[in-house]
Amino acid sequence: MPADRRPSAQRSGRAAARGGEPAGSSPERSVADRAADHAAIDRLADELLPALIAKLSASGLGEIEVGEGPWTVRVRRPADAAGQHNRRSTDRPSRAQPGHAGHGHPPGGFEGHRSARETRPVAGAGAAQASSNGSGPAGTTGAAPAGRGGRGTGTDPDAHRAIATSPAVGIFQPRAEAKTGTRVRSGDRLGAVDVLGVPQEVVAPADGIVGASLVEPGQAVEYGQELIVIELAAARAAERAGEASEA
Amino acid sequence: MFHKILIANRGEIALRVLRACRTLGIEAVVAYSEADRESLPVQLADEAICIGPADARRSYLSAPAVISAAIVTGCDAIHPGYGFLSEDEGFAEVVRAHDLTFIGPPANVLDRFSNKESTRRLLGSLGLPTIPGSNGILRDDAHALEEGERVGYPLLIKPAAGGGGKGMRMVRTPRELEASLNVCRSEARSAFGDDSLYLEKWLDETRHVEVQVAVDHYGRGIHLGERDCSVQRRHQKILEEGPTPALSPEARNDLCTRAVRAVVSAGYENVGTLEFLVDRDGNFYFIEINCRIQVEHPVTEMLTGIDLVTTQIRIAAGEPLGYSQADVVTRGHAIEFRINAEDPAREFRPAAGVVERYLAPGGPGVRMDSHLYAGYEVPPFYDSLLGKLIVWAPTRQAAIERSQVALGELIVDGLVTNIPIHQALLASEAFLEGRMTTNLLDRVGSSAFLAAAARS
Repeated sequence: MPADRRPSAQRSGRAAARGGEPAGSSPERSVADRAADHAAIDRLADELLPALIAKLSASGLGEIEVGEGPWTVRVRRPADAAGQHNRRSTDRPSRAQPGHAGHGHPPGGFEGHRSARETRPVAGAGAAQASSNGSGPAGTTGAAPAGRGGRGTGTDPDAHRAIATSPAVGIFQPRAEAKTGTRVRSGDRLGAVDVLGVPQEVVAPADGIVGASLVEPGQAVEYGQELIVIELAAARAAERAGEASEA
Repeated sequence: MFHKILIANRGEIALRVLRACRTLGIEAVVAYSEADRESLPVQLADEAICIGPADARRSYLSAPAVISAAIVTGCDAIHPGYGFLSEDEGFAEVVRAHDLTFIGPPANVLDRFSNKESTRRLLGSLGLPTIPGSNGILRDDAHALEEGERVGYPLLIKPAAGGGGKGMRMVRTPRELEASLNVCRSEARSAFGDDSLYLEKWLDETRHVEVQVAVDHYGRGIHLGERDCSVQRRHQKILEEGPTPALSPEARNDLCTRAVRAVVSAGYENVGTLEFLVDRDGNFYFIEINCRIQVEHPVTEMLTGIDLVTTQIRIAAGEPLGYSQADVVTRGHAIEFRINAEDPAREFRPAAGVVERYLAPGGPGVRMDSHLYAGYEVPPFYDSLLGKLIVWAPTRQAAIERSQVALGELIVDGLVTNIPIHQALLASEAFLEGRMTTNLLDRVGSSAFLAAAARS
């Protein structure tokens, strides 16, 4: 996995120096020291990481870093994710046309489905245009929605997150127990899509931590629509920490 | 009138219905499966909604998915197109129960015409000739022989629950009948779970002629002439034309008039088609009714100038027909060619793939109903229909000449299509002389048609 996307929990060199310990994992470190480190990583993964992921998801920030004691925890949003999963059909261009007045959605109506005019390459094309526009004002590239990476949206958006999608067309209701920050396992129920009164389960596609909700409770959704982000990396880091502590 | 219509179909008919909605100033939502995300109707729609995966049973054939899509998009009616849920009375009933309108006959009307055998009895009692046959189900072998003698040989043994040719057998003598009954019973039992059989007079060298009708909610009905669909391959229509070259104008008028009279008396509602077999002597026999808009409806539209899909929508909305029989005037001759992604040189195997280049023909009287565009990938999950070329001209001869030009202009690169079989038909004596019968293409063989065309 690319390093720039991995939420990292590390002991900073500064903190280590202050504690009078040798930096890094030297063979001289005692078993007790290592056990203590693992316990600390465990605790951070359990308590701090979910909260940070929730905050990141809600904030629209690219990166959050906090220090706690000797530890620094940094959570970074994937380079092209910020604009991407929100740029679904909700951003569909207005279909108002001459002679087509009144084509807006009814209040509480359907918002999530795909607009016919919205084609996937649009975002990529826009980003490419921005980055190839060398004569443009400084900062053009940075301001492009595709973000620093400047990557097209055609590439695999992110190997560090999975997205729970809708199993049917209907009204989405999240499960109260599966709120942002909750750790879930693959197959856990995250909510349901109501199809003519029959709930169809929305399940976690992988082990991870519940991240951003991409739709509102009570919103109409179409088949296959992206509903809830599951952050995999956090879970993996936490798991690794867990395994390490058991070692 | 409706405010917003959900189009629960795909391909060219979804596009056709979308155009009808726009003509009427009604908003439309195209419901699509994952396999049709890049399809033309989805791209041209004001709104589109994914209702399920490629598997039609979980998308276009799923009543809950379709109805849920209609509800969440704020539609008040559903247009089912043809195929899929278009003649499913159970679906129509559930649609109604959700306070939506099914664009087609109401559920109770669909229900009345859902059984072919009882429909034949009903319309037979209202003046339509039906194919002579046994009085109901054969009780036993003795009863079968008795009935066979009464109807006359050759005969067709048919399963009562059947369809698709399974369990059917043609017999020429009482001895053949006796020998075949047990085989047909066991075939019918394994195919339909019901071994009831009946007998029908075998009609050789028949033509398929169908009458288009429209009946409004107030019992006012008209016919819009007939179409000849005798050019078939394994019971699949591939070319339709109107008027039929098989009947005189008087006989055509008699057929159409009797058809609309019977169907109005039977309480039919909305647009529909009555199918008949016509024998060599011009006798016609009612076989079944199609309670939907049909693939070949543009033939009638070209002949009459009447938009059948907007008519269908208006009738479903409870509007009166608005015109009488005297207002329906058929002019000239129209031919429709079904352009399929299949290879005539290889047993018409269906093809899927990317359309590399597409050019629709033009000119006076030429209409192309198709969902193709260059770059479109034809998915392998559905039928092979790529579009329909419809050509109109003042006479049959002129329509054939125009058709040759139009077929020559039509370009569909990247896929193998059946365009060569249409060109071969237009070069065949049987078609040019108007002598096509439903079994001719299968009897002579498509390859013989293609070879004959290559020589000329």
